[in-house]
Amino acid sequence: MERERQGHDRDELSQAVQAAQAGDEQAFRLLYRGLQPGLLRYLTALVGADAEDVASETWLQVARDLPNFTGGEFRAWVVTIGRNRAMDHLRRQRRRPTLSVPVEELTEVPGAADTAEHAGESLGTEAALAMIASLPPREAEAVLLRAVIGLDAESAGRVLGRRAGAVRTAAHRGLRRLALLLEQRAGHVESPDGVVPRPRTGRSSQASRTEPVDG
Amino acid sequence: MADMARMGMILRRLARSAGRSGDDRLLDGARAPRSPAAPDPLAELLRAAAAPARPGELDGEQAALAAFREARRAGVPAARPRRRRLTAGVVLWLAGLTATATAGVALAAAGLDAPDESVPPPAPGTVAPMPTGAPTASTGVPGPPDSTAGTSTGDPTTPSSGVPSPTSTNPASPSPVPEATTNLRSGDAGHCKAYLSKPARQREKALASPGFADLVAAAGGAENVSAYCRELLAETDPNWLAKHGAEEDSTAGG
Repeated sequence: MERERQGHDRDELSQAVQAAQAGDEQAFRLLYRGLQPGLLRYLTALVGADAEDVASETWLQVARDLPNFTGGEFRAWVVTIGRNRAMDHLRRQRRRPTLSVPVEELTEVPGAADTAEHAGESLGTEAALAMIASLPPREAEAVLLRAVIGLDAESAGRVLGRRAGAVRTAAHRGLRRLALLLEQRAGHVESPDGVVPRPRTGRSSQASRTEPVDG
Repeated sequence: MADMARMGMILRRLARSAGRSGDDRLLDGARAPRSPAAPDPLAELLRAAAAPARPGELDGEQAALAAFREARRAGVPAARPRRRRLTAGVVLWLAGLTATATAGVALAAAGLDAPDESVPPPAPGTVAPMPTGAPTASTGVPGPPDSTAGTSTGDPTTPSSGVPSPTSTNPASPSPVPEATTNLRSGDAGHCKAYLSKPARQREKALASPGFADLVAAAGGAENVSAYCRELLAETDPNWLAKHGAEEDSTAGG
């Protein structure tokens, strides 16, 4: 029955997609609202503070190419566009280093406000995303595509150009690393006011992103 | 029932396939209703990461919708919109959201397009034929400002394939075609709307981003973008401008 319901949900989603393709603006709005938060969070892990701009570019292209979408996993299609946009962005940035993001923006790291976001929750959205983004890139992407965007391993693999098995492995490693980080966090933070120990984000460089978590 | 809530649920449920492993249960559970069981910190982390939209995350909605309209105007005259149940409810759904400022989690991920997989994948399989090929060309090209008066390769609203030319398809539209007149490029309309839809404080930053490089070039400099866009939209989409352009006067200026 789970399977049946999934089929049903897929139908509804694809109906919304078809309606948007037929010109229904409201349907497009629903798709945007359903997908944008996850897309933005994913892109933030890829390009940092420029994620909003990359997301706008992504939606421009989605709107433009929507008539060409021929079926399949719509979310994967959108995310693929977003990822390509992000890669373009990174390439351009390398060519024009002067346009890099001001350091202040890179250090807008989650603080107490975010941590206290949900009373009952141990970790705010921002802090959670920061921790995920501190993983090695492949693992971070796998976890984000699976958990935040909600793709299955096969679709995530298509977005990343990798096998589903590779995505599973990366996600598994990422989860283990996250569990480790959480343990460290639990060990280090005793006082309630001591926010999350700042994950290695923002200023962390290429080098630090690819090395394994120590400890 | 609120359609937006339904859509949210649907997207969430789609994420849950029958759990193949502990990993899958965790990952899929991120978007599922909270289980009453003892909270697993890792599950909580994933759940927090997949939490519903926060304020600010949907700021680009107007721009996205503008792009949608623009694409339709330029492209096929679509069939009559189907109303179905895809209507209201969104407001309620949004009203239930938590309020936190979202300063983008800034996590520059420099290592991402790492050596062995730097090129966006050729997407094997059936899913997404278009996005892999098309995206690099269009909006991103920081092309030369000259010689692009008409349609250029960087024209963001010119579909890369599959859509008929914008000229004769839509008799209902006010037939803009400002392409060859001044330097106005109708293709910039989408970017213009995206730009004008941004809160004032984000505009400057937007213009510094490579995605808007074409627009800045077409306008002849960042300081001219507002004027350029208003002029362009006055020709191509006066209605939109009337609705959104008013704010512009107060925010831009000197």
